[in-house]
Amino acid sequence: MSFLVIEDLQVDLKEFKLKGIDFSLEEGEYLTIIGPTGAGKTILLESIIGFHKLLKGKIMVNGRDITGERPERRRMGIVYQDYALLPHFTIRSNIEYGLKKKLGAGDPSIPGRIEKLASSLNISHLLERKPGTLSGGEQQRAAIARALAVEPRVLLMDEPFSALDPQTRKRTRRLLKKIISDSGTTVIHITHDMEDVWTFADKVSVLRNGEQLQFGTADEIFQRPACMYTADFVGTSLYPGVVEKRTEHSALIDVNGLKLNSADVAVLEKSSVDVAIRPENIFLSEENPGKSLEENVIHCMLADIMEEGSVCTALVSYEDIIFESLVDRATGAAFKDRIGKDIFAVIKNEHVRLIPR
Amino acid sequence: MRKVNFFRAVLIALSLFITFLLVMAIGAFFLVPDWTEVIENFFREEMIFSLKLSLWTGALSTVLVLLFSIPIGYALSRFDFYGKSITKSIIDLPVAFPELVLGLALLLLFGNTPVGKALQSMGINLVFTKSGVVAAQFFTALPYSIRILKSTFDYIDPRYEFISRSLGYTQFETFKNIAVPLSRNGMIAAVVITFARCIGTFGTVLILAGGSEGLTNTLPITLYLNISYGNMGMALTSGIILITVSFIAIFIFEKTEARL
Repeated sequence: MSFLVIEDLQVDLKEFKLKGIDFSLEEGEYLTIIGPTGAGKTILLESIIGFHKLLKGKIMVNGRDITGERPERRRMGIVYQDYALLPHFTIRSNIEYGLKKKLGAGDPSIPGRIEKLASSLNISHLLERKPGTLSGGEQQRAAIARALAVEPRVLLMDEPFSALDPQTRKRTRRLLKKIISDSGTTVIHITHDMEDVWTFADKVSVLRNGEQLQFGTADEIFQRPACMYTADFVGTSLYPGVVEKRTEHSALIDVNGLKLNSADVAVLEKSSVDVAIRPENIFLSEENPGKSLEENVIHCMLADIMEEGSVCTALVSYEDIIFESLVDRATGAAFKDRIGKDIFAVIKNEHVRLIPR
Repeated sequence: MRKVNFFRAVLIALSLFITFLLVMAIGAFFLVPDWTEVIENFFREEMIFSLKLSLWTGALSTVLVLLFSIPIGYALSRFDFYGKSITKSIIDLPVAFPELVLGLALLLLFGNTPVGKALQSMGINLVFTKSGVVAAQFFTALPYSIRILKSTFDYIDPRYEFISRSLGYTQFETFKNIAVPLSRNGMIAAVVITFARCIGTFGTVLILAGGSEGLTNTLPITLYLNISYGNMGMALTSGIILITVSFIAIFIFEKTEARL
C-alpha cells in the first residue's frame, strides 16, 4: 500500500464542494497540484490536514486511517502562500513553537535543531526578528523552517513561491529542492507555475471546480493530457485524429488530412485518438531536412512569432491545422522576416503521443 | 476658482456641529457648578458610598462579563453550529432593549420563576440587593463586550490557528497561545467599554436592584435621586465623577493601546 492514500475525498463547504478526489503517493514523493484559481486546491490541502470535515472519503498514512484524527495528531506541516508566521513571536519562537510541543519545552536539543535548520535555510541572522520586519523570501524560508522543524510525515505547501520576485523564487526553489530531497519528506505543493512542476514533481494532480481531472506523473500530464482543459492548462496541443495503420513500431494517424507517424502503438486501427504534441518538441527548419523513418517533416507556413518572456512561440500552419513551436529569442528574431513564408516543422515520432478517445 | 463641494461641506459641518453640542454639554458640568460645593459633596458619605459601590460592582461585573464574552465571542466567530444565527440575535437583544425593560425582564426572571427560586435556594438573591447591581450591569454590558470580541476574533486570520494545530497544539492550547494574545487590543477595548457601560448602567440597576440609599445607589442612581429631591449640587457632583471615571478609562485604554 502507498504511504499516503486519498480515497474519494469529498468536502461540502456550502459555497464550494470537493468531489471525489483520489490519489496516492509513495513515501518521499513530491506531488504538485495545478489548476485555475477557485479550483479548490487550498481546500483540498486543508481537508487533508484536517481543518475541514469530510463529507465522504478516507485519508490513510502509512497504512493507518487518519480520516477522523484531529489536525494536531496527523503530523502534517503546512506552509501558506502568505506564510502565516505568528506575528507576536520572533522567528526563533515561530520555529521553536512546534518543537516545544513535540519534544517538551525544556528539551536541550531544541536550540541546536533551530540553529541547524536556520543555517540550512540561510535565516540564522533573522532568528531574533519579528516576522513583520522580514522580506517575502525571508518569511517564506522561515515558514518552511517552522514546518520542517517538527519533521512532518507530509508537508503541504500552498503556492509558497507566488509572492516572491523571480530571482528570489529561483534561489528558494533550488534551496527547497535540496532540503526536501535531503529530508525525504513527502510533499504536496499547490502551484500555478509550471516551472515548479518541472523542478519538483514526481506526480501531478490537475484540479478544476473541485474535481480532479487527471492524476499521474509529470510526464503523463504534459505528454498525454486526458482532456482539452488539462492540455490547454499545461500548454500541450491536442489534435483529433484517426489511426489509419498500425505496425509493431509505429502508428500512422490521419489528422484532418495530415499524416503523422507516432511511436505509440497501444492503439487500435481505425480508432479515434487525440494526438498530443508539446510545443518544445516541434523543431523548425528553413531547409527541408529530408524524409526519415524516425520523424515527421511537415511543410508548413510560418504564421506568426510571439515573444513570451525569455522564449518565443512560433505559430506554423498546415492548411487548417496550427502548430505551436517553442523557440529561443534569437531563433524567434531570426525567423521574424520569414512570417508568411514556407517553413518545415519537424516532430519526432516519439513526441507524437496518442490518447485513445 | 475651486468649486465648493457641498456634499463634503455639509457632512463636515454636521460632524462639527454635533461635536460642539457635546463639548458644550460636557463643559456645562464643569462650568455651571460651584466648585467648593462640588468638593464638599464629593466627601459626603452618600457620594463616597456611591463611588465605592460603582467602582467595585463595575470591576466585578467587568470581570464576569469578560469571563463569558471571551468564549462566547470566540464561539460565534469561529464555529458553525445549529441555531448560531438566532443565538447571535438573542445575545444582541439587550442592546436594542430600553434598560428599564431589560431590568423588568431580569426582575421577573430572578423573582418568582424557577430560575429565581433556584438561585435563592443557593443563597443568591439578586432582587433589590448589591448582587442585583452586578447582575444588572452584567446583562447590560455583556452584548457590547461580545460584539467587540467577536469582531476582534473575526479579524484574526484563522490560518494562524491552523498552523498552531498542525504543529501539535490542541484547540484549547491554540486558543490560549494564539487567539488570546492576538486579540489583546480587542480585549482591552472590551474591558474599557464594559467598565464604562457597567458604572453608567441606570435603568436596569434601578428596576432589578432598586434605588435604596445606602444599599444599591450607584452613581447614576445617586444622580437621579438627587435630581428628584431637587438637590442639583449632589446630582452635578455625581455626573462629574461619572464623566471623570469614563475619561480616565478611555485615557488608560489609549495609553495601553499605544504601548502594544
